[in-house]
Amino acid sequence: MRIDVRGEMCPYPAMKAKEALKKLPAGERLELITDHAPALSTVPWEGAKLGFLSEIAPGGPGEWVITLEKSSAPIDQRQALAAIAARAAELASGEA
Amino acid sequence: MQAGATAAAASPRLPANTLTVAGALLFIIVAAVFTGSKDFELGAFWLIGVAFGVIVQRSRLCFAGAFRDLIMSGDGRLMRALIIGLAITTVGFGMLMARFVPDPSFNVLPPGAHIQPVGFATVVGGVLFGIGMVLAGGCVSGTLWRMGEGYLNSWVAMAGILFGLWSASKTWDWWYDNDVSKREATWLPTELGLTASIILTLAVLAAAYVAILWWELRTPRLPGPTPKPMPPAFTLRDHLRNSWDTVFGGRGWSYTTGAIALAVLSIVAYNLQSPLGVTGGLALWADNAAKVVDAGGLPLKGADLLAGCSSAAAGAEWLTIRTTTMTGLVMGAFTASVLSGEFKVRFSRNIARYPQLIIGGVAMGYASVLAVGCTIGAFFSSIPSLALAGWLYAIALAAGAFIGVQVIRRLP
Repeated sequence: MRIDVRGEMCPYPAMKAKEALKKLPAGERLELITDHAPALSTVPWEGAKLGFLSEIAPGGPGEWVITLEKSSAPIDQRQALAAIAARAAELASGEA
Repeated sequence: MQAGATAAAASPRLPANTLTVAGALLFIIVAAVFTGSKDFELGAFWLIGVAFGVIVQRSRLCFAGAFRDLIMSGDGRLMRALIIGLAITTVGFGMLMARFVPDPSFNVLPPGAHIQPVGFATVVGGVLFGIGMVLAGGCVSGTLWRMGEGYLNSWVAMAGILFGLWSASKTWDWWYDNDVSKREATWLPTELGLTASIILTLAVLAAAYVAILWWELRTPRLPGPTPKPMPPAFTLRDHLRNSWDTVFGGRGWSYTTGAIALAVLSIVAYNLQSPLGVTGGLALWADNAAKVVDAGGLPLKGADLLAGCSSAAAGAEWLTIRTTTMTGLVMGAFTASVLSGEFKVRFSRNIARYPQLIIGGVAMGYASVLAVGCTIGAFFSSIPSLALAGWLYAIALAAGAFIGVQVIRRLP
């Protein structure tokens, strides 16, 4: 899916990215084209909250394309770390 | 081509179209006039404005975003950067103010410092400004630097700001008689002494920093993207290319780099005469324009007693340190956006956006007269001036931004 938010200023690029990501069919990538530099920081942030990783590529002068792709990594870093810790403890007790 | 984000294409290349050539010529002429002016400070504050514009364009240091994103998406990165900037400015201003007023207990205020009255107008001003900056997509300084970057939306918002400033000057007497004249401009060192005030300010800033970090970590999310490293440099040419790319490349600067640079700039400005401020200059120009049709509202009643970013002390000229600062701000942002290949004339295709921009601008303009300053003059320059008003204004701004976010969620 591709959305064009050129001409829009904050917070609209991030708001529209969020809406689009929620409707995005599974397995698809979202390409967002923007000419608002602050969106390069806010759009990846909104994506990260929904489990998407962002890649920023320059478009024309003052334009960028942000590609958001679903990541298989768990969103909750604490949960992920706890799982690793639990697994490590399991391995350690198995050896003992 | 956009220079920078792909490091290989980072060699500086300037687009040679008519607009940038005209901009460069204008830059040289204004530089010659302002820096050659008999009044040294006019030129100095123009250069400070240019540096201001370059810093905020490169670091995208958006004061409106700092409040809005914290509330709207749990993103505290901008606000944490501003807190670091505030802490540095506090130490710098503290040293300057200690030189101006060796013993603060005599109830003497340091000249130039932004110490506004603490009253009802501060709260109303902060809330109104907070709503306005969310609606307009940027505060007053944000609007100025985006004007330089080619945002027509911001030119529309600026029309609203100028109207708001003018209408506030016409209704100022009511605010002055009923509130401002009865309030005290509380300078913390008068009660606590200078050192204790600085330590207290830094401690509250540190507590706010930690609280924002905690707030940020409540929202689970993936780690942010890691920035691409610079290509290795072997020759002098490589080093120069990397240096250019650090300043004008597509990565931009980090928020914290921008906030630290702005803090240093504000200290330099205060050392010369006065901390950074922009709305005082805009108010003066709005009023000069209104005087053409005999509708001027300046000078404001009692404003010569107000310490802050006010239009008062200025008189009726077009050129003051505040107006050259804001002219420099637009031109600095223009220059930085051209040099980084980010300049582009852009505008919203959604018609509903324009009334929103104007209303937001009017609210900010009106509010910045009530509070004697905007996010720069009454917040970024006020808290480091050890003024109680800066803190009250910051809380009111956050409340206003909260209301603004609720409004914006219901708009098309």
